[in-house]
Amino acid sequence: MKSSSLKRHRISLFAFCTTIAFFYAPLLVLILFSFNESKTMNWSRFSLRWYADLFMHSRDLWEAFCNSAFIAATSASVSTLLGTLAAIGMYWYNFKFKKYVQVASFLPLIIPEIIIGVSLLIMFGVMGLKLGLFTVFVAHTTFCLPYALLIVSSRLDEFDYAVVEAAYDLGASEIQTLLRVIVPVSMPGIIAAFLVSVTLSLEDFVITFFVAGPGSSTLPLHVYSMIRFGVSPVINALSFVLIVGSVLLAFSTKGLYKYILQK
Amino acid sequence: MKKQVAIILCFMIAVFLSCSNSGKQKLFIYNWTYYMPDDVLRDFEKRFNVEIVYDVYPSNEDMFAKLKSGASGYDIVVPSQDYVSIMIKENMLSPLDISKIPNFKNIDTAVLARITFDKGNKFSVPYMMGGSGIAVNKTRVAKYEKSWNIFNRADLKNRMTMLDDMREVLGAALRSLGYSVNSTNPQELDKAKQVVLGWKANLCKFDAEAFAKGFAAGEFWVVQGYAENVMREYDSTKTSEIEFFIPKEGGTAYIDNLVVLKDAKHKDLAYSFINYIHDPKVYAKIIDYLRYPCINVEAKKFTTKKSNYELSDIANSELKNDIGESLELYNKIWQEIRVGR
Amino acid sequence: MRRNYGPAYTFPVAVWITVFFVVPIAVIFLYSFLQKGLYGGVVGHFSLAAYSALANSTLLIVAATTVFQAMAATALTLILAIPAAYYIARSKYKTLFLLLVIIPFWTNFLIRIYAWIAILGNNGFLNEFLIATHIINSPTQFLYNQYAVIVVMVYTYLPFAILPLYSTIEKFDFSLLEAAQDLGATKSQAMVKVLLPAIKSGIITAILFTFIPAFGQYAVPQLVGGRDSFMLGNVIARELTVTRNWPLSSSISVVLTLVTMIGVLVFVKLNGKRETA
Repeated sequence: MKSSSLKRHRISLFAFCTTIAFFYAPLLVLILFSFNESKTMNWSRFSLRWYADLFMHSRDLWEAFCNSAFIAATSASVSTLLGTLAAIGMYWYNFKFKKYVQVASFLPLIIPEIIIGVSLLIMFGVMGLKLGLFTVFVAHTTFCLPYALLIVSSRLDEFDYAVVEAAYDLGASEIQTLLRVIVPVSMPGIIAAFLVSVTLSLEDFVITFFVAGPGSSTLPLHVYSMIRFGVSPVINALSFVLIVGSVLLAFSTKGLYKYILQK
Repeated sequence: MKKQVAIILCFMIAVFLSCSNSGKQKLFIYNWTYYMPDDVLRDFEKRFNVEIVYDVYPSNEDMFAKLKSGASGYDIVVPSQDYVSIMIKENMLSPLDISKIPNFKNIDTAVLARITFDKGNKFSVPYMMGGSGIAVNKTRVAKYEKSWNIFNRADLKNRMTMLDDMREVLGAALRSLGYSVNSTNPQELDKAKQVVLGWKANLCKFDAEAFAKGFAAGEFWVVQGYAENVMREYDSTKTSEIEFFIPKEGGTAYIDNLVVLKDAKHKDLAYSFINYIHDPKVYAKIIDYLRYPCINVEAKKFTTKKSNYELSDIANSELKNDIGESLELYNKIWQEIRVGR
Repeated sequence: MRRNYGPAYTFPVAVWITVFFVVPIAVIFLYSFLQKGLYGGVVGHFSLAAYSALANSTLLIVAATTVFQAMAATALTLILAIPAAYYIARSKYKTLFLLLVIIPFWTNFLIRIYAWIAILGNNGFLNEFLIATHIINSPTQFLYNQYAVIVVMVYTYLPFAILPLYSTIEKFDFSLLEAAQDLGATKSQAMVKVLLPAIKSGIITAILFTFIPAFGQYAVPQLVGGRDSFMLGNVIARELTVTRNWPLSSSISVVLTLVTMIGVLVFVKLNGKRETA
């Protein structure tokens, strides 16, 4: 049976391997260049100079990275939370403002980022909100919402409602049903929504540029503003360090380790 | 899991605490990355016992869009010449009292004479002056004319780029025809458009973001760009392989200026900073780092490295000034060029 | 009968989206009906100049090429994403593979594109390899054209297609496929007629997450596009920053939004709406 199961998945395995190759080719090249003595993309010889630069002369980069990571974690969490709740609410119920929320929460996906950025900036000004990490957090949560909502919604699609009804029949309250039935079943969707939101937040430049305040710069802002004088391979070094860090973090506890490698 | 979260939180809090409130006065500068060397900023912090918060932007346009939409909190910004005049007209700048900037006298009067966008320096103090030119990879291109005509060479097809910037490209075309880079004459602009369409056939692409990296990697052999970008991306041991020149017809020039925003909260500190920048020893350090032509006469005594080009090289280049309403016309022509009509 | 908890669940999102999105966007859309200020911003006069400026053939050409490229990118993305997500959903190490897929995208976008230039460029690894093995004699230009833009867009959006697809495929009952095969269907028939309809909502989500952002993309054509690469995203950004014509940038966005909303509504209706209990 084993050989036929491998054969069965031939096409999907091929697609998966192609995808991984596609994703990791530039990553490996980028890591390679972080060890390049030359700052150009032509290999000269092995050197750790960019790592030395990173750990000794790049305080502003680390600050920017901390801001990015903090914002990504918080805005992804909040948008996933709000998106999940809303997806649940809109899937099984009908109410007056449902259509409004469906349309309004879908719009941030469509409207060009630069328009969202400028409009938020103007509004913060009118509200008297000082630009800073909070405004960046608000902006990021806002544009991650449609992603979180749609991913969890598509996960809920064709959810077997009988399970939920059974829970109610057994006397569970709404919250108990939510936490013990709906959320666990939707977990892959929630995780997917969270991962997408983190990725979007870490990478965002345009919207962040407009709503970040003095001193609350994020990593993409720094990197794009380096273009005029040359993007240094210090960024490559930083990226490698981040990847290693993320991997170590993911596998750091036995619990996480087992969850990731679970069958 | 909880342990991990706790560790991360502690780490972040530690970093945040180490960066925030030292109780010192702060100066907020908004500029390009790397445009002010780190040691110059740290020395200022030590000398005046303050903290500099340095934020960055990738272009004048982005900076202006943000400030116009209501962002505030910055004391010093470094706009280029056309944006200085725009910001003056939009009432965004604080008038400068030059008597508070004694080092202003060190600035080359020839440079000051070229300043038409802020006559009398009522709102700005020049920081750096430069011009766009052409960089050629001599190992790939043996003989070439030091002129904009290089872009007419079909033998270099697909190995050349020009900037993705309508003022720079149209400005180059206007200059090559002998017109002004600030021309608003539709006939002149139409001729310039034809010139650019001719160049476009030989270009690989219009690029303002990866041309220097591509040039350094050998992707492109001839690029229109800025010396600071090309030189800094190139291997410092191999710079003899390339030549950066300002074409003989002249090109576009720019002056980046230090300005104080109208709603700046630390105006005195801003004055101290501007004065500090033009301290001859400090300015010399900056020039050694950036390799720009030196516009501070006294600082020339202290520079140790050669600039990429001199002020005399850009004598024939014209400052790109604000063209007001005609920007629409330029935009229309540029979009037509880009789409290929 | 149980209470209608819908409003309670949805209330936080409703408030958030109204305050932090609907209101600011309404203001900006209002700008499209105002006169442009000479240096950006708007002047308080009503004007339809921003809309009449849309009847511009250059703009229409740009819009058409953008649609084509976005459609091509979406199609290619789906072709790769569906089987890849299927593989992950059926594998033993789902979460590991998900992380594997997403972690490269936590590095900075710009340097990843620079890395692509190092690989596919005229002087890049691929060309060097092909020349060294004598497959070709002189470098082929893989980049700096429409196709490079499409491929790099696929690269950019693939994870955002894989994740929602994974999320829907994962809950699919795979024994149904075996049942179909037992009833005489071939493997591909089972896939197409049983699996695909069941994951329809995931496919639609993946399409939305690819096509719509691709439509507004501006960085990829700037980086790997050629001399003719000029997309709608570039136009909108330019109008706001370079030409400082806020009403025009706004009006293009209004039309873009309306057209996309109508398109999406039609598309979703045609593919069958989700049911509510």
